[in-house]
Amino acid sequence: MLGTLGAGLSNFPWLSASILFPIGSSFVIPFFPDKGDGKEVRWFALSIALITFLITVGSYINGFDISNENVQLKENISWLPDLGLTWSVGADGMSMPLILLTSFITALAVLAAWPVKFKPKLFFFLILVMDGGQIAVFAVQDMLLFFLTWELELIPVYLLLAIWGGKNRQYAATKFIIYTAGSSIFILLAALAMGFYGTEIPNFEFSHLAAQDFSQKFQILCYVGLLIAFGVKLPIVPLHTWLPDAHGEATAPVHMLLAGILLKMGGYALLRFNAQLLPVAHAQFAPLLIVLGVVNIIYAALTSFAQRNLKRKIAYSSISHMGFVLIGIGSFSSLGTSGAMLQMVSHGLIGASLFFLVGATYDRTKTLKLDEMSGVGQKMRIMFALWTACSLASLALPGMSGFVSELMVFTGFVTDEVYTLPFRVAMASLAAIGVILTPIYLLSMLREIFFGKENPKLIEERKLIDAEPREVYIIACLLLPIIGIGLYPRLVTESYIASINNLVDRDLTAVKGAVKTNIFSGTKTNEILKAPKI
Amino acid sequence: MPQASEIAWLIPVFPLIGAVLSGLGLISINKKINNSREIVSVGLISFVGISAVISYKALIEQVNGYQSVEKLFVWANAGDFTIPMGFVLDPLGSVMLALVTTITLLVMIYSHGYMAHDKGYVRFFTYLALFSSSMMGLIVSPNLLEIYVFWELVGMCSYLLVGFWYDRDGAAHAAQKAFVVNRVGDFGLLLGILGLFWATNSFDFNEIAIGISQSISENSIPIWAALLLCFLVFLGPMAKSAQFPLHVWLPDAMEGPTPISALIHAATMVAAGIFLVARLQPLYSIFPSIQFIIALVGSITCFLGASIALTQMDLKKGLAYSTVSQLGYMMLAMGCGAPVAGIFHLVTHACFKAMLFLGSGSVIHAMEEVVGHQPVLAQDMRLMGGLRKKMPYTSTTFLIGCVAISGIPPLAGFWSKDEILGNAFISFPAFWFVGLITAGMTAFYMFRLYFLTFEGDFRGENKELQKELLIASKTNLDEENEEEHKEHGSIHESPWSMTFPLVFLAVPSVIIGFMGLPWDSKIANLLDPEEAEIASKAFELIEFLPLAIASVLIALAGIIVAYQAYFIKKINLSVLFAEKFPSINHFLSNKWYLDDINEKLFVKGSRKLAKEVLEVDSKVVDGVVNLTGLVTLGSGEGLKYFETGRAQFYALIVFGGVILLVAIFGFQSPQVS
Repeated sequence: MLGTLGAGLSNFPWLSASILFPIGSSFVIPFFPDKGDGKEVRWFALSIALITFLITVGSYINGFDISNENVQLKENISWLPDLGLTWSVGADGMSMPLILLTSFITALAVLAAWPVKFKPKLFFFLILVMDGGQIAVFAVQDMLLFFLTWELELIPVYLLLAIWGGKNRQYAATKFIIYTAGSSIFILLAALAMGFYGTEIPNFEFSHLAAQDFSQKFQILCYVGLLIAFGVKLPIVPLHTWLPDAHGEATAPVHMLLAGILLKMGGYALLRFNAQLLPVAHAQFAPLLIVLGVVNIIYAALTSFAQRNLKRKIAYSSISHMGFVLIGIGSFSSLGTSGAMLQMVSHGLIGASLFFLVGATYDRTKTLKLDEMSGVGQKMRIMFALWTACSLASLALPGMSGFVSELMVFTGFVTDEVYTLPFRVAMASLAAIGVILTPIYLLSMLREIFFGKENPKLIEERKLIDAEPREVYIIACLLLPIIGIGLYPRLVTESYIASINNLVDRDLTAVKGAVKTNIFSGTKTNEILKAPKI
Repeated sequence: MPQASEIAWLIPVFPLIGAVLSGLGLISINKKINNSREIVSVGLISFVGISAVISYKALIEQVNGYQSVEKLFVWANAGDFTIPMGFVLDPLGSVMLALVTTITLLVMIYSHGYMAHDKGYVRFFTYLALFSSSMMGLIVSPNLLEIYVFWELVGMCSYLLVGFWYDRDGAAHAAQKAFVVNRVGDFGLLLGILGLFWATNSFDFNEIAIGISQSISENSIPIWAALLLCFLVFLGPMAKSAQFPLHVWLPDAMEGPTPISALIHAATMVAAGIFLVARLQPLYSIFPSIQFIIALVGSITCFLGASIALTQMDLKKGLAYSTVSQLGYMMLAMGCGAPVAGIFHLVTHACFKAMLFLGSGSVIHAMEEVVGHQPVLAQDMRLMGGLRKKMPYTSTTFLIGCVAISGIPPLAGFWSKDEILGNAFISFPAFWFVGLITAGMTAFYMFRLYFLTFEGDFRGENKELQKELLIASKTNLDEENEEEHKEHGSIHESPWSMTFPLVFLAVPSVIIGFMGLPWDSKIANLLDPEEAEIASKAFELIEFLPLAIASVLIALAGIIVAYQAYFIKKINLSVLFAEKFPSINHFLSNKWYLDDINEKLFVKGSRKLAKEVLEVDSKVVDGVVNLTGLVTLGSGEGLKYFETGRAQFYALIVFGGVILLVAIFGFQSPQVS
């Protein structure tokens, strides 16, 4: 009895359901009576988002075997056979945590969007479409389909920015769409090139592409294109300037989605395509990723320190934290790479919590300028406590997830024999400067907002009410996994470690091949890639 | 009942449970929990009390020769790597645990009185419990990584507690400074830990030492790399234990409530650095040059702290610099390869320094009744004087503390400090001399504090002086403070909850020295039995006496000078010394200009750098983007006519491009594969 039930559940199209259910349900929203306050829509959206979350949890529990490194929960339906397009979804260790993260953060974002009173129907419609679209980005197993979902997700974000944003929303939204759409041309080109490579009939399935033996020059060309496309998303300095504008203008729930999930698409795609499908090129470009990661960490931390606008400050801190993802991806060690995965999950939670708090604080102070705040902590004590907890999480305090992921990246990179010792020493030392810079800007921020004497002008003009239960609940929901992972990281790492090990083995073989046959002799990267003599 | 050593992991867990419970209470049922503050504090004290009972039982077991216990589990793993966590209980740990739990308990009792009228009473106790849990976790950590975890957590608690009165600007800055300066040390510590893991594939203290010495003998890692790693790890203790030049945060940290200064910034957390160096003795003892650096840093710190303490007028700051100096002694002991002496001094110092700080808190508490809640006034010794008659318990215990720290036998400080000086005399005679001079300075500044505070006439009513001090400190008097000024109280002894811990701590301050008599050291027997036996056999009175007499004489000299200058006022030091050598006086009262250097070089420097990077980001990087936008806008106007608006046409172009790409690379593939 239970056995058949189990079998029935494992045949259920979990992933398709989690993609199509929120999108399908969102089309009910236009038929809601238009009363203006959007109460019904809110509850409807919340329940849909929660059900979606439960579906993804169901897929993890019922259809996902963590010891299996291959793609699971596969569904394959030929969609447009002439174009070689198939509805092919599935999840391996790299997708699954991010799928869960997406549905989780979206549900919380819906709850965070409670005060949205302007065009609530359209707002929640877009959020739900985005929910399905983003799960699709992580779940699809077909590169053409990946491109389509990647583009699909742009539209709701664009509208969410352009309609509900701050003063500069048009500029920010346009910048966002030009950047992302422009760069995703490279995804399309690479997808078509890879799909048509060596065959008459195009095939865009990841499994097919992974089995392909692309030539080295081809790999490099595709790699560079994809690096630009994903580098915009992650973002990698200097392709980042859309982010502070977009984040600076977004409302809190959109902000949570941008920081919590959208940035992770870049990191995920780098792992999925650059590291997994193009290992030979990855062997050449990995040192560049490390350097870029270090630049991200230091450059963005310094910029964040000098920022006087709260939202932009946190936006830059996101960029800084993404640097660790880059280092992890470039590390050729399973510890480092799984640290990069964990950093994505961890930053998804921490970034979302901080951005939510920024929004909640803005609702009260009506200003984001640090110079106009001071001593806010005396009126908003619980808010102060929540801010402190989330900032400490963000500065990688042990016992919270950020510490574990950064530590794994550091340890993985430092013990990694692929790079020479001086390179590792230099890069690890520079990256560790982030350890000093992060508390400087985060604690300065806390000090300027909450500590000190109350700003009399602010107190007079604004009513500073302390955090309400809904807000405490949202932060609690985010802090619980943050602390859980911090105390026992295997909660999450176990779910993807098999896939990561597989990926790293593949990349390491490519590196060893590169060193052994000396294909790249004479190039500078080769010097770095040589195993150090110790 | 299981052996306490076996269940030592519970020691940090109990206070943690308490902290979490009351923390959740503060978030969810803030008003109710603030109204039932006594229940919370009694609850938290009992949680720490349970830990204290287990700790003492474990200490007794260890004294009776029970084996060390170590238990590990896999915390994180990937590939071939595993990162273990767990707990260890050994003699060193059990001594530290007993010390920390005792002082925490006493400080908690004290805080009940000290913080009685504070609206953050419950929050304060929650932080205290959280801190004690982290500190105990640090002590039972079996490897470097876990130590790092708790190391950061105690740093966080210190941050929260220094910034406890968050409406004060000074506290806000001090809290941040404490955290950031410690992070500078942690930067080194983290890199060092990572490097040692790379070199030895282990986080365990002993395995690291064995691995490093093996690697060096096999020449598999260069000696400079090993030295560098050892030094990097040492940066952590340098920051946490306020060693020169990373000591700058500790005096500022006195902005926190005084019980915190006693617990965290005198007795326990700042000792964590010493503790870590003691844990790493197997590693450091391989490298004499690192030992020398440790001893050098220790003796510089020791002298620096004492010299700055000479001119401090703020009671707490004076004690803070004294702590810096005493921590320098402990570090000196570590550098001399005498961890037992260092830990012994750590224990004795914790007792009398906690007592001195709590005593100063008692004084400040009383002063606030007269001069108001303005730290600039309440802590300034120029406004004190004559408090002995009104505060008998406080003054007596403070006097005991002064005698103890000055190194007058048979009180605690004499035995432990002499042990360190004896070791320094053998290892580094020059540093012994520095230590000896410092001993004299210590006696002088401690008795200066005592005489200025407790003897003579009370100067607190002097309005002129108060105004001068306020102007000098550039504190703006707002209305709130004016009001406080109007309510006049009088100096009186503190309530029992504050005097009890003082009296309690006075006992070990007098007698705990006998634990470490050089001819029969119980603490050495516990921590290092082999060494203790050698030491007690090698002990000869003729060697011991000259050194001991020298240090007692110099201490007495210091006390006599202080007595002449500040009690009977026969000599006027400002005429005799300060006016003759104004440069030295300025140098000392400006704290060797280290704070200024720090402010100018690092704080302003980093701000400037950050501003410049932001400029580059918004003008150059984003400028290019916006310029491109403008250009494309222009060219788009031109291209408009080229665009047909038909989707098929675009698809054709894209498709053509792709075909071209595939054509170029597709045909090459057979040759490569």
